[in-house]
Amino acid sequence: MKLADLIDDRPEAGIFRVSRAIFTDARVFEAEMRTIFEGGWVFLGLESQAPGPHDFFTTHAGRVPILVQRDETGALGGFVNSCPHKGARIALVRQGHARQHICPYHSWSFDSAGRNKAVKWKRAGCYSDAFLQDDQGLARLPAFGSYRGFVFGSLSANVPTLDEYLGEARKLLDLVADQSDDGLELVPGQVTFTYAANWKLQLENCSDAYHFTSAHPSYIRVLERRQQEMSADVVASVWENSDYWKEETQGIGGGSFSFENGHVLNWGVFGVTPAIPLYERAAELADRFGPAKRDWMFNMRNLTIFPNLQVAENASSQLRIIRPIAPDRTEMQTWCIAPKGESAQARRQRIRQYEDFFNPTGMATPDDTIAYENCQRGFAGKVAPWLQGYARGMTASVPGGNRFSDKIDLHPARSVLADSQLCDETLYHSYYRAWAQRMAGEFGA
Amino acid sequence: MSADVLTPAAAAALLYREALLLDSSRFSDWLDLFTPDVEYWMPAWRDEVSTTQDPDRELSLIYYRGRRNLEDRVMRLTSGLSIASSPLPRVVHQISNVVVLESGAGAGTVNAVFVCHRFDPRMGRTDCFFGRYDYQLVLEAGDWKIARKKITLLNDTIPTVVDINSI
Ligand SMILES: [Fe+2]
Repeated sequence: MKLADLIDDRPEAGIFRVSRAIFTDARVFEAEMRTIFEGGWVFLGLESQAPGPHDFFTTHAGRVPILVQRDETGALGGFVNSCPHKGARIALVRQGHARQHICPYHSWSFDSAGRNKAVKWKRAGCYSDAFLQDDQGLARLPAFGSYRGFVFGSLSANVPTLDEYLGEARKLLDLVADQSDDGLELVPGQVTFTYAANWKLQLENCSDAYHFTSAHPSYIRVLERRQQEMSADVVASVWENSDYWKEETQGIGGGSFSFENGHVLNWGVFGVTPAIPLYERAAELADRFGPAKRDWMFNMRNLTIFPNLQVAENASSQLRIIRPIAPDRTEMQTWCIAPKGESAQARRQRIRQYEDFFNPTGMATPDDTIAYENCQRGFAGKVAPWLQGYARGMTASVPGGNRFSDKIDLHPARSVLADSQLCDETLYHSYYRAWAQRMAGEFGA
Repeated sequence: MSADVLTPAAAAALLYREALLLDSSRFSDWLDLFTPDVEYWMPAWRDEVSTTQDPDRELSLIYYRGRRNLEDRVMRLTSGLSIASSPLPRVVHQISNVVVLESGAGAGTVNAVFVCHRFDPRMGRTDCFFGRYDYQLVLEAGDWKIARKKITLLNDTIPTVVDINSI
């Protein structure tokens, strides 16, 4: 298998195609785990998940269990969540507080800085000098850092700095982080779901403006019904107050930005409307950051930080971690992310909109995930191996930004300005160019 | 015993009827079981051992106040416009351990457990959901109605989708 059999990227010929094999092939999946999820920066969680000294949370980098904890000074550290003795996981819950972790298997203990505190019956153990001179602490992540409260780590030291990796996409994390002076928090209540399809279907769907009216007409009909009958029982949704996605809408309503290293944003103009929970701070945010940046905070924004973080701000605000399990199986960890200190009324509105739109028990997400599963079944057909879903916007994509990105001094690698029906697909090219770069060593050119 | 006191038999009959209506996709009859201002709530899990407690400050899997929200869900489920819902999965609810915890004049609280088996004919896949129900029932014009239903879903790693007919 060669890279050219997986991604057909020939801009001069107007061709960008992706082979179905990248979603189904076990060798591809294995290589993705090695080079992308276990060989580079991945998102681990928010600093606020471990707010104080000795607080910790657990997550994954690819298949590897990870422990993120604060030591007694409050410094955050990232570790492989595995005892150096026999390999057992030492932290078994998603989040907690522990001055030390004691391995449940043979009671080796570790402090919140990852140092070994005790090897049980060490003196009686007749250990060799070589063992005694070795370090029995937890393995630290070779690269670890955070930006504006978003924590990242890498199982390989051979990575650019986090600032370099995130690049211009940092300014899009700023749009989230700057919504409150006190920073961000996850609303209590994590929702986890799985689907029987490849992780890259979720990667793409977050950036997919094309599917909304096709996959979600039942949700749209519910919104229309609510709008007609405005009753006190229903929570207003920003979708019903916005026209940018409706096919009859004219003119530029949004578009996409692509960045180095596979980060992308698709966005639409929502306007500064009371249907958005942040509305209560609209004036204050304009004073603080200027109207242009404030308006951007109110735009519909679906941001992917490659490969596993998505922040969707549309009907409400969701933070997702994509966790690939197998070529045809993915686990999604999802939270409602919110600015700290918002009013009780705004928080309630945010939560209600979230549940209806984002939950796997809601009215929109299931129509996406079932679609992924239908795609995964269809990918078995390799008679015509090249997918044609990467071609919209090919003649609209331009290098650099546009007047909308200029307003917040944002410099994407490429951009597309779109009316409601363009629905750019070239932003996926950014995913697959980053993907191909990382996978190049695994497959011959 | 006066007619407005909730008996174990009356409570079980209502819960079994609700299960039958969901299992046979008779959703408009199902909606009739609820009061107009019903609270319908399936909390999310805060951590390994506790569910969220305050729907206004914490996330729920589903939270509605008002039957009209359930009407929306039924409309979506039966619209033919949701690929997650068409064809409708086949479901069986098994309700047991029905206990009347309190019973006063025209009102009562009931606890029960459920298992729902779901078969999705499109994917050929069977899933099973289980948990606890907490009900508040009220007597309206001679019929017991559901004024509150709290569903505690114990296996909350959701396999692709969970809708109101499989909990
Ligand atoms: Fe969608």
